[in-house]
Amino acid sequence: MKRLFIIIPAFIIALNLGAQINASTFGVMEARQMGPGTMSGRITAIKGADSDPSTIYVGTAGGGVWKTTNSGASFKSVFDKYCQSIGALAIDPKNPKIVFAGTGESNMRNTVSVGNGIYKTRDGGDNWKLVGLDSTEHIAKIAINPINTNIIYVAAPGPLWCDSKHRGLYKSTDGGETWEKILYISEKAGCADVAVDPKNPDIIYATTWEFRRLPYSFNSGGPGSGIFKSTDAGKTWKELSNGLPPKPFGRVALALAPSAPDNLVAIVESKETGLYISADGGENWKQQSATMNVVSRPFYFASLEIDPKDPKRVYRPGFTFSYSNDGGYSFADASDAGGWVHSDHHALWINPKNTNELYLGTDGGVYSSLDKGATWRFFGNLPVGQFYHVQYDDKTPYNIYGGLQDNGSWVAPSQSYGGVDNGDWRDIYFGDGFWACPDPFNANIAYAEYQGGNAGRINLKTGLSVKIQPQASSKEEELRWNWNTPLLTGAANGHNLYMGAQYLFRSTDEGRNWTRISPDLTTNDKKKQQQEESGGLSADNTSAENHCTIFTVAESPLDENMIWVGTDDGNLQYTLNGGKTWNNVADNYAKAGIPPHTWVSSIEPSPFDKQVVFATFDNHMYGDMKTYLGKSTDMGKTWTWMQSDEFTGYAQKIRQDRVNEDLLFFGTEMGLFATVNGGKDWFRMKNNIPWYAMVRDIQIQPRTHDLIIATHGRGILIVDDITPMREMTRAIAEKDVFVFKPAPVKLTMGNFADGGAPSTGGWVAPNPPAIPPIQYYFKDRVSKGQVKIDITDMKGAIIQTLPATKRKGLNQVYWNQRMNPPKVAKAEKLDQSTFIAPQVLPGNYLIKLTVGDKVYIDTLKMIQDETDDNYTLKDRELNYQSSMELYKMHEELADLVEQLDLKEKILKDRMEKTKNGKTKALLQQYYNELEQVRGKLIPAEKTSLFADVKRLREYISEVYVSLCSQEAPPSNLQLDRIQSLKKELTNYEAEHKTIEGRYEVRAEQALKKEGLSLYGQKAF
Amino acid sequence: MKLKFLNLSALFILGFALAGFSQTADEIISKHIEAIGGADAWSKINSIKQEGSLQVQGTDVDIVLTIMKGKGTRQDITLSSAGMTGYRIITPTEGWSYMPFNGQMAPEAITPDELAQDQDDMDPEGPFINYKAKGHKIEYLGKEDVEGTEAYKLKAEMKGGKVETFFIDPSSYMVIRTVVKQKVNGQEVEQQTDLSNYEKLPEGIVMPKTITLPFGELNITSVVVNGNVDESTFKKPD
Repeated sequence: MKRLFIIIPAFIIALNLGAQINASTFGVMEARQMGPGTMSGRITAIKGADSDPSTIYVGTAGGGVWKTTNSGASFKSVFDKYCQSIGALAIDPKNPKIVFAGTGESNMRNTVSVGNGIYKTRDGGDNWKLVGLDSTEHIAKIAINPINTNIIYVAAPGPLWCDSKHRGLYKSTDGGETWEKILYISEKAGCADVAVDPKNPDIIYATTWEFRRLPYSFNSGGPGSGIFKSTDAGKTWKELSNGLPPKPFGRVALALAPSAPDNLVAIVESKETGLYISADGGENWKQQSATMNVVSRPFYFASLEIDPKDPKRVYRPGFTFSYSNDGGYSFADASDAGGWVHSDHHALWINPKNTNELYLGTDGGVYSSLDKGATWRFFGNLPVGQFYHVQYDDKTPYNIYGGLQDNGSWVAPSQSYGGVDNGDWRDIYFGDGFWACPDPFNANIAYAEYQGGNAGRINLKTGLSVKIQPQASSKEEELRWNWNTPLLTGAANGHNLYMGAQYLFRSTDEGRNWTRISPDLTTNDKKKQQQEESGGLSADNTSAENHCTIFTVAESPLDENMIWVGTDDGNLQYTLNGGKTWNNVADNYAKAGIPPHTWVSSIEPSPFDKQVVFATFDNHMYGDMKTYLGKSTDMGKTWTWMQSDEFTGYAQKIRQDRVNEDLLFFGTEMGLFATVNGGKDWFRMKNNIPWYAMVRDIQIQPRTHDLIIATHGRGILIVDDITPMREMTRAIAEKDVFVFKPAPVKLTMGNFADGGAPSTGGWVAPNPPAIPPIQYYFKDRVSKGQVKIDITDMKGAIIQTLPATKRKGLNQVYWNQRMNPPKVAKAEKLDQSTFIAPQVLPGNYLIKLTVGDKVYIDTLKMIQDETDDNYTLKDRELNYQSSMELYKMHEELADLVEQLDLKEKILKDRMEKTKNGKTKALLQQYYNELEQVRGKLIPAEKTSLFADVKRLREYISEVYVSLCSQEAPPSNLQLDRIQSLKKELTNYEAEHKTIEGRYEVRAEQALKKEGLSLYGQKAF
Repeated sequence: MKLKFLNLSALFILGFALAGFSQTADEIISKHIEAIGGADAWSKINSIKQEGSLQVQGTDVDIVLTIMKGKGTRQDITLSSAGMTGYRIITPTEGWSYMPFNGQMAPEAITPDELAQDQDDMDPEGPFINYKAKGHKIEYLGKEDVEGTEAYKLKAEMKGGKVETFFIDPSSYMVIRTVVKQKVNGQEVEQQTDLSNYEKLPEGIVMPKTITLPFGELNITSVVVNGNVDESTFKKPD
């Protein structure tokens, strides 16, 4: 009986699996990872393999782990299936294939993400396994005992937003299988740094750190912070203090000199923050410098390194990059010669085999130096930008706009000549970027901002900007602007420009003049407005903690007077009269189980029904990582908390499709989710989208139907044309095979060329296909029989046969709108015409999908783009006609050459066989004359790739290839050329006939005398 | 009643299928070997010659794949529309490659690195049968999605140094995808191949008739097992 109970739910699961619509259904719709690499993103860890220093792993704040095996010439993402926030990396000193990745960045800024444990790979990043510490949320450092590499230490600061026992120094003695906490201070203080003495690995140094964030303040420092030493591999600990400043400490960065490990340096955050050194293993300390770069933002700049060979060479990657030759007494800053080095540094790896070679991780990507950090080169091939929002315009191709963490605001086309590369991106505003929006009516203008609502109107042609941030009037309190202030145009009326402080402002004249259209919409809790006191031991007030502000604004696409507003302190308000009166529904969502006062991260008034609204709620700043997605169908009176076992991460963004109301996209801190049935079933999207991507914004371009995703660590992702997601229903999913009805297809040779030369580096995102695919669905993978698509004319004559994919779910096959290429005359050198065929003409064609022994037939209508004045139907027909003439000439020529080849072979053979000298001479003459013709048709001799020999085949190809690959009618001279080449071909054919006439009969008669012949089965 | 009975039996079948979740590499391998015809049938295979056609954007490319146990492998690639043939030959001691399509004038020697890693290709049985005796290491890495199919993932470290990951369809125990990773001449190279359309040959072995490569699909039109493959096939041509 017991078994039956277990089996029943299994059966239900299995049944659902049968026709479930899930990630794999749409796996073929792979996102284009747009990057870019031009500004890259925040880097948190860099580790190279000591024994193979060209292999380097890069950990990022929101883009997972990237690996290079060639010192950065190319990088590959190796952590796409796991948490994207990386705190620390470590490579086994004895086996460079073993790598640990500690998730959860530990640069504890306001927007820092969370991790879910430590991962291990044993094969250089191909496969990873979660091996523990899944509740620590943040990992700052991993240190491995160099002699017994099964011994691993992990410094875990632990949760940022709440008390927790899951913090401290952890140790494993079995290569990461099990972990033991060996240094623990309190629920408020974790471990921020750890170092192992390489000569005596029982000596361990660790720093502890007491810290806490609230949504509206930050504290670094407290009695729990300190520096500790163990001489028995972590069994017992001693706190170090002699010569250090008075406690309390804040965060302490610590480094030992690998070549002389009794030498230590530490930056100790305290009332006297500075750099301290010890020459006796930490027993005694002495203060050294306290330069601006040494003391700045210890909670954010926690890196300190010493040259592996030179104990006096100390590196301080911080706000800037500085280095010391005297053990940290004096520092010099890196030069900008050769290019600016992005500020805010968090990681440094020094190649121990060549200590001149350094790799630096910044808020703007990775740099390398070959001169010990004096000058730097940037790597433009890491697409790990941290976007906050994304917008689009309606140009062709449309542009994408967005702002990034510490990297300003940018705009780029969604497709471009040769693909979208780093050079296609333009920075339009500075600081930390957030919202960046095109003006829907003025193509020359965009709006963008930097932190704290510092918005500008930007002239996109010149880059010049005008500051437009609303100012407080005499009757108003000082304006409170969120770090990430809403700045957007209306969904119903694009002339409305909105900005939210604690009040909502609206401008209808491009931000020149503003009207306040609301009272204070926040809770205005004064306790949450003490930002000037924020930071702890080191004051830190950068607008990052501003609170009781409006965070999200949404004008209903159905009515410009209906505006929804969400605040960071949990108010959710709407107006139905353009701001005259407001209704707060905050109490109502709480009744659905969503905690009260939760940060409203996004609102989506439905484009289908004014009564329907979706909202996302983010409570992680109170230590609650649950996923809160709410829906109301009565204008916010009552709410449903939409839940799914699939969800991970706190909620960031909800988007309803504009065509199919049951299609929703939902982004969290750990993944993008979709439903095609209004939220009954959700699935994680994995179509070239990192499974745990930090999704911050989601848009759907209404003309191209592209899904545009802003991630906080993987740049912009675009899923081209989501129409199949709109059309996929349960009824279709239950069919074994379903062919989607193809819409009429415009004939085109593409929107853009591939570019003149291949990319010389950087990040290049591919363009979308210029033609729509043929789409069909398989309930299961086809494992038996062939699957193919024949494109035929309406009578069934094959135009092209395409190999067809057989994946479970949606399949997409692209037909290049051409027929099969012609047969081309054989020669030693390959001719281009072998690979190209004329584009077909407008009209109806058949798609025949063969699946094993079944055939599915549909009609495909190819149409002329009537809006294209540059290539009219008449032009197309002329091009086709001429291309086909040349196509036929190629085939005629191929036949002629084949005949000549065969006859020459026979003649050669018979020359050897004949014993009659006269016959031999006749055959030789016959052969020579044929060869003379053949030599005019094709390049007869084998020559180098670089030695062009042009014969009739090449001349035909010149015109043929041009016409086949251009959207233009033939020119007058091309037309003339075709006729003259045709004449030439006819003449050679005639010449061939003449030669045959002259010799064939005579040769045959001569051969017959010896019982030989030119013909018959034995001919050759 | 009948319906209920049917459902119940389905329950048990499914229940057992799900209960048997904890697979080991050896269990999967033995089921896979059984599915491809069994070790006995494969042990009788000395040579295989496969002919097929690869389609790249409407252009036909004829392919001949020849393999002779311990003696050599050879791939011939013919662009029939242009009458041009290239090849790649691997033997225990040397290898040659001739690709005239991009202007190569004469066969070129294969680098020692590539030669070493391609040695294991001269085994028609593939890496699974008697893998331990052959010196390969195989590890089961759990299930992974391959185009919608949750496949068993097996990683083989071949004796010659090549690392190949196999994805096996749990419903048929056939390999549906392989990913070969090689470090060749200081560079890491990865190649993915999808296999489908499996057919049983008169010799009792089961082979894929469709091989999907990143640039096109190869359909096998004829397979000759233990035919007259001359060892000279693997000599460097003049």
